[in-house]
Amino acid sequence: MITGNLKSSYAADEQVLDNRWKRGFLLACLAGLAAIAAFGNNYVILIACQMGIMLIAVTGVNVVIGYTGLMSLGHAAFVAIGAYAVVIFHNTAGAWLPDSVATVVAIPVAVAVSALIGVIVGLPSLRVKGLYLAVATLSANFIVIFLIEQDVFAPWTGGMNGINTPAPNLLGWEMDTRREQFVLIAALAVLSLLAAQNLFRTRVGRAFIAIRDRDYSAEILGISLYRYKLMSFAISAAYCGLAGALFAYFYARILPEQFELDLSLMLVAAIIVGGMGRTMGPVFGVIVIVMVPEVITVLFGAIAGGGAELAQIRAPIQEIAFGALIVGFLLFEPFGITHITDRALRALNRWPFARG
Amino acid sequence: MRLNRRKFLVTSAAASTVLGAPAILRAQPSEYVVAASLPLTGPFATAGQLVAPALRMFEALTNQDGGIGGVPIRVTAEDSGYIPANALANYQRALATEENLVMYFGDSTGFMKLVAPELRGENARLMGSTSFASELADPASNPYQYLPGPSYEDQFDILLNQIKDEGGSTVAFIHSNTEFGRDPLAHGRATAEELGLRIVLEEATREQGADIPTHVTQLAQSGADYAILQGYVTGVWPQLIGGARQFGLPTRFMGTFWGMENAIADRVTDEAGPILDGYSGVMPYKYFYDPERGPAYERFAAFQKEAFAGSPLENYMPTWGLQALFSLQIGLEALRRVADKGLELTADNAAEALAELQDWDTGGFFGKPVSMVDNKIGTGRVYQYSAETKLFSPTSDWFTV
Repeated sequence: MITGNLKSSYAADEQVLDNRWKRGFLLACLAGLAAIAAFGNNYVILIACQMGIMLIAVTGVNVVIGYTGLMSLGHAAFVAIGAYAVVIFHNTAGAWLPDSVATVVAIPVAVAVSALIGVIVGLPSLRVKGLYLAVATLSANFIVIFLIEQDVFAPWTGGMNGINTPAPNLLGWEMDTRREQFVLIAALAVLSLLAAQNLFRTRVGRAFIAIRDRDYSAEILGISLYRYKLMSFAISAAYCGLAGALFAYFYARILPEQFELDLSLMLVAAIIVGGMGRTMGPVFGVIVIVMVPEVITVLFGAIAGGGAELAQIRAPIQEIAFGALIVGFLLFEPFGITHITDRALRALNRWPFARG
Repeated sequence: MRLNRRKFLVTSAAASTVLGAPAILRAQPSEYVVAASLPLTGPFATAGQLVAPALRMFEALTNQDGGIGGVPIRVTAEDSGYIPANALANYQRALATEENLVMYFGDSTGFMKLVAPELRGENARLMGSTSFASELADPASNPYQYLPGPSYEDQFDILLNQIKDEGGSTVAFIHSNTEFGRDPLAHGRATAEELGLRIVLEEATREQGADIPTHVTQLAQSGADYAILQGYVTGVWPQLIGGARQFGLPTRFMGTFWGMENAIADRVTDEAGPILDGYSGVMPYKYFYDPERGPAYERFAAFQKEAFAGSPLENYMPTWGLQALFSLQIGLEALRRVADKGLELTADNAAEALAELQDWDTGGFFGKPVSMVDNKIGTGRVYQYSAETKLFSPTSDWFTV
């Protein structure tokens, strides 16, 4: 039994980070991110940025799948919308704004556009559930990519050949190196994770959880399914739109083939492996899905050497290793890595009484 | 602080290290690294797996010749699965972990376009690739990337002119749904209009595992005299042609570089009959079996017989391998010229040396000396496949666009 978590004021009781371990963990993470920004080489920064962008997207997917229980296989569409919205904004309305302001306006615009389209894509959730909703949302991914690739929209989206993206300019701070963009991405990733954690302490978040547990009971209790299901899709689409906006700023060029079904499935795989319905789920999921393949590549490269012929054998083995890891996870820990850390922390908390 | 003997020794050791350091840094590196990204898994894995040994051969032969300015090279390769973002991660990994990285070999048009805006300053390296995309042959905005042959747009021009000469009037463009497949289409449309040819179909398919009956039906409905296939390497193009022949279509098929591999054509002829007879296309190089092959190919043949005995590469080097070898050869030649001049092997110096490759005898890749103009080598030939001889034979002279 946990003791010692005593509060003497309502304000202290209402804090998100209410004990020193949680505050310490957050500070340690911030220190780690600062260390990466200061000392990491370009490759580490690249992987860290990719992880940060994926983290924001997977947090959004966690909101709709993990907390609201609505299966969605089309969230790469919102990442694409966020990315292209930023580029189109910079090329059209943003051309009249001074450079330092354009980015600061473009990101909220991309988030708003994604949220709006999220509401439309979420409409099937009012009629169907489970597998049927998964298939209905799958269509969103294909429709959005199809529209982006059409020649009719090519003057704005670059069509099938992709389009070059601008560098972000935060009120005069021109972020044209990856390291500077990492600072922006890391800051937004931490903020969005904290925002998601806070969301589930509010009435809206509790409504989502009620819908996940049994949606007709929630309706009987007075939670309007119409409002809250669409709000869940809107919020998750907004998160993915933010990830897409950062994706556009991060890569020098975006291609529609980067947002296909593979990305949707990667987001869902990340949240399942990480643990659905938990704040740290997206973090662990992104670590496994994004970082582990790179670690495998580096490890195998270090063991076997980088020669071209060895790469022939190494490459399929790397893929097999990663696939086996995912399958192993789902077999032995279907609730995700957060369940493993739960048990570990509980054992640590009760030590030495937890043994046996 | 009192200066005793220990402090004096420590300080002087530190000082000599600091003073001596620049001298150590300026010493020649022990090796230069050439890194590559190959599609060892994914839709073009067959081609990637055959190119990987060719890179080992390149390393061995280059080091036999003394490397670059007397310094040996080391070639490394990573898999990208033909996904541009993975190839980009491979490039960044190579930049971050390899000292003395002098050249990179990219594996897709998508990757080359994705990385182009990032090749600035410290992150720039001379970059060859499997791509013949026209956008990359632009020394003004993209000085470090080059094409080892005529661009896809040039190849389409050659084929469309050939169609016009043979009296055709309607053309279908069948391409894969990738950057590689879509690259020359806009230019192809413009050229066809100039020549008075009508484009009756533009069909996008998957780059591997395409739904053949659907696409053949579309082709039949369009009634095209000729069809140009773009964006395929190991598959889909033989199946499309086979499907069309089964359907009884008289359409004449033509292809561009990556769809001109003899090994694939032979296998299809062995297993499905002479359906590929008459298939023609542009190939910049001599085939490995060319009766007049030069010293370079002879050298490869000798190495392959020894090193790759028992594998498909023992007696034959596919066009995919030749392309990789020639692309690396161009980069190597540019770097050697920089080293001969005594300059540092920076990307900028190498890019300048590229422009100096004029009237260069490649040792047998081409039938005549070639020149690098606007970061591409616009020389090649048109070949046609004969199911009887099971060989691609040239049907034109060496052209230069």
